[in-house]
Amino acid sequence: MLANLSLKLFVRELRSGYLTSMLLSLVLAITIVSGISLFTDRLEKALSSETKEFLGGDLKFESNENAIKDSLKELNLNSSNFLEMAVFASMVISEEEMQLSSIKAVDKSYPLVGEVELKNESGTYKTRNNPPPGTLWLDERLKNLLFLEYGDVLYLGDAEFTFTATIVYEPDRGSTNFAFAPKTIMNIEDLGKTNIIQPGSRVEYNYLFTGSETEIGQIRTLLEKNKKKGDEIESLGEDSSSLGRATDRSENFFLLGGLIAVLLSACTVGISSQRFARRHISYVAILKTLGMQLNQIRSLYLLLFLYITLLTLSLGLSLGWFLQSNFISLMDSYFPTELPTPGFYPLYVTCLTVLICQFGFIFPHISKLLDISPMRVLRSDISFNQNILPMFFMGLMAFFLLLYIYTNQITLSLIIFSGVIVFSFIGIGFIYLMLGRSKLGLGAQDPVNLALSELRRRKLSNSFQIFAFTVAIGLSLITFSASKNLLGSWQNSIPEDSPNNFAINITKEDKDLMKPFLSEKGVEIKTFFPVANAKILRKDGQAEIDRNFNITWVEDLPDQNVVSAGNWFTEDEINGLSISSGISERYNLEIGEQIIIQMEDGAIETFIQSIRTVNWDNFSPNFFLIGHPSLFEKQTSTFITSFFIPKKDQKVASDLMREFRTVSIFSVEELIKQVREIINQVTKALNSILLLTCLSSIFLAFSALQDGFDQRRHQSAILRTLGATSGLVRTSSLIEFSILGLLSGILGSLMAHTGVYFIESKVFEVTPSFYPEIWVMGPIIGIGVVSGLCFYLVNGLMKQSPRDLLKLQT
Amino acid sequence: MILSTKKLRKEFPSGETSLVILDDISFNLEEGKSLAITGPSGSGKSTLLSLLAGLDTATSGDIILDGINLNNLNEEERAVIRKDKVGFVFQSFELLPSLTALENVMLPSELKSEEDPEKKGEYFLNRVGLSDRKGHYPNQLSGGEQQRVAIARAFACSAKILFADEPTGNLDPKNGKLISDLLFEVNSETDNALVVVTHDQELASKCDKKIQLKLGRIVD
Ligand SMILES: Nc1ncnc2c1ncn2[C@@H]1O[C@H](COP(=O)(O)OP(=O)(O)OP(=O)(O)O)[C@@H](O)[C@H]1O
Ligand SMILES: [Mg+2]
Repeated sequence: MLANLSLKLFVRELRSGYLTSMLLSLVLAITIVSGISLFTDRLEKALSSETKEFLGGDLKFESNENAIKDSLKELNLNSSNFLEMAVFASMVISEEEMQLSSIKAVDKSYPLVGEVELKNESGTYKTRNNPPPGTLWLDERLKNLLFLEYGDVLYLGDAEFTFTATIVYEPDRGSTNFAFAPKTIMNIEDLGKTNIIQPGSRVEYNYLFTGSETEIGQIRTLLEKNKKKGDEIESLGEDSSSLGRATDRSENFFLLGGLIAVLLSACTVGISSQRFARRHISYVAILKTLGMQLNQIRSLYLLLFLYITLLTLSLGLSLGWFLQSNFISLMDSYFPTELPTPGFYPLYVTCLTVLICQFGFIFPHISKLLDISPMRVLRSDISFNQNILPMFFMGLMAFFLLLYIYTNQITLSLIIFSGVIVFSFIGIGFIYLMLGRSKLGLGAQDPVNLALSELRRRKLSNSFQIFAFTVAIGLSLITFSASKNLLGSWQNSIPEDSPNNFAINITKEDKDLMKPFLSEKGVEIKTFFPVANAKILRKDGQAEIDRNFNITWVEDLPDQNVVSAGNWFTEDEINGLSISSGISERYNLEIGEQIIIQMEDGAIETFIQSIRTVNWDNFSPNFFLIGHPSLFEKQTSTFITSFFIPKKDQKVASDLMREFRTVSIFSVEELIKQVREIINQVTKALNSILLLTCLSSIFLAFSALQDGFDQRRHQSAILRTLGATSGLVRTSSLIEFSILGLLSGILGSLMAHTGVYFIESKVFEVTPSFYPEIWVMGPIIGIGVVSGLCFYLVNGLMKQSPRDLLKLQT
Repeated sequence: MILSTKKLRKEFPSGETSLVILDDISFNLEEGKSLAITGPSGSGKSTLLSLLAGLDTATSGDIILDGINLNNLNEEERAVIRKDKVGFVFQSFELLPSLTALENVMLPSELKSEEDPEKKGEYFLNRVGLSDRKGHYPNQLSGGEQQRVAIARAFACSAKILFADEPTGNLDPKNGKLISDLLFEVNSETDNALVVVTHDQELASKCDKKIQLKLGRIVD
């Protein structure tokens, strides 16, 4: 019987349209939350396998010697869990050409993870093996530079090889830097024959490991124990590649968007359930007078909300699945493998969110509804008991829980939570002060008077409305600025004319010829950076920094470098050294510290003059160490530069190569193109989240307005019965809501401003930027959206005759 | 002639067809006179009243109120007629809950942009004997008191004709009598015409003229 009745009630409620905004906002919240968490879940899984491929294994040991090999023997490692590789640079010589190449000599375990994709005359293929002894795999670029055909003979040091395949994709791209010469892969067994590695040669040995967490732990301990100065241990999760960081930040954004959408929907649900409860007062009172027991009525409403939950969950989850599969399809071409299927976490988060919304924002209203006295049937002005405190408390609790679930940080949640509370108090106090005391009478003489008196009269409900609008506007603006910041930082990292070609190994003579050569062809070179090898020693003798760095010397601070401590070179401060903040942190080098730079042509005594933050994501040469030219006059060096060759002038690159044979030139055009594409696709995903968040804001604004309009329906009917024209009612409502919208817009901007500042400085940990457009958008959106929705609602009221309106009331 | 109707007909759409609620209603009412409309529940009394008062539009036929044919007017123009010529008392009072008793009575004068709504409001509130309750909100007043406020508001309209739909319907007999007496008393002080829908025979008998509805038609 109850099931039947509740089902009928459910259908009736659905039909009446009163539940529409609650249902829509719930579905929207579930869609966003499940869509985002499904997407980020899969992305994270993919990225961790991606970074594993990028690193080449779970753990990597880098050393200038292969001494560690002996200590590794005690571990009895299975060869399929362990890879040795030597990385060095050398000339690759064909019958008629020679080119500098970055060479990777790998053993039979190569590749440890993933597959190598190769190409030969019969097409592309994948393999899990290393090159057979006596053969070489080369970059496509190298093949072209050396004018090679498959099967041609090549020389590397003293040994002769056959060129068998070009490398299309190699899993462990992390092992060498892109800003280096084109790549060659050889078998490590052939290394001896070449006689390239001599005492003192610059070679880096990489040892890669895979295994279970405990195995990796054991290996790590062993490595730590035998680690020498300059050796490095790298493992997963310490990845700082730009892809990793970009996705990290966009993931942060997605989570922020999800949280905001949930908070917005929670408010909407709260308002709609209050409205629901108000509408059901007589219904419950009548059921009670008809002798229905409280338990039965309770079950009736529980069932009703169970149906609502099931409906919204199934709709929301399907839409969420659709959303994430769209996001995935935007990006899946950038992942080498099928994306992994999602785990149960997204489902869990979604259901938990719905549950919290129910307990925090629906049940308090329903339990109040169930408290209604049957006397209400007799006196229509009996309403709820006025104690809203417990309800408020439940809502706040739920709000906090949601914050915690989505941020997973107790302090952060506390900060946001108290921020919102303080903010609302300030906002409500502000409204009370602004509106002042009401005068006698409704002020129905003219629309402006009427609007103002209405504003004063409904201070409390107006405060809540303004609060709802403010939250809607503020949170949307926060999402907007966050997406803008993210996109801006990406777009800045690759400007339209960012260099797409690098040239290294440029001699002084080449340098002087290259500039005119290129400028004749319309390509400008901004700077040639001298590059030399340097070691830094601390002057006080303790803890020598035994590591080779690339050093350059220039007068002007390179683009996208920002001095974060100390001063850049000025006319009378030219004796110091500028280091990157990463180096400063890693080796604990501070401003003013005395150091010795050891270089091929002698040592230079100097000090740390400034520390720079460097944007490593951009496509221009970046340096750890920069000095002033006057200090390095005597040093010999080669030069490195980057320049932009327009697509149509690609011939310039080959002319350049032909003219300057010893200079290595390579194009990063493809890489830039790919990064741009990724940014484009992520932008689409970002924008759809922004759009959905705005949509939930509109739902919130709409339900807040609708709630207010229920109370207005009666008033406007009486006013019109007494002869107020609909023009008067309409105009005064528009004025009233434009003022509410304006106030909320201003408060929303303030909220967004502080919120963005907080999020950028504390959560994203970037220098917070100022978004002046927030202050324009807030009030405009406030007035536009609120008065637009109001216009829609008032028009609905005006279509009905006053008689029908009064009838609806009673 | 303050009010006259000719062949008034009102239908409500009901699915494919339409329901005829009122049909062939014709009568006249002289200025300053009172008219009682009686009839069984559902016979169309409230519907007729709302047509007469310009709250709703008839399907066909004419309503001439103070020389103006309401059926030729749009909603905005009818609103002006209501403001200038018509006063209302409802069965369920229909006071604005957010306004005090005095403010409710001031409302018509405010809408007409009259000089001193407060003075007029206080006068009529005093006239219905509630000057000591002027600062109270409707939910602080009893049903009878609320209806007295509603009557004060109706007279504050300075209307030519006053419509009352079962003004005593929600009240006990004692209060009902008080209200109906008050209605006629104050009415006699003005030259208003009065149209009352009522089940109350005593109230009906006080009127100059009576019509009885049955199934949407006038019966004699
Ligand atoms: N908007 C409407 N749509 C359809 N039918 C309506 C509408 N309004 C009223 N009716 C019908 O018109 C008929 C007359 O209604 P009305 O309210 O005028 O009766 P009444 O004589 O005032 O009754 P009571 O004495 O009970 O108040 C009723 O049958 C009612 O169902
Ligand atoms: Mg009636």
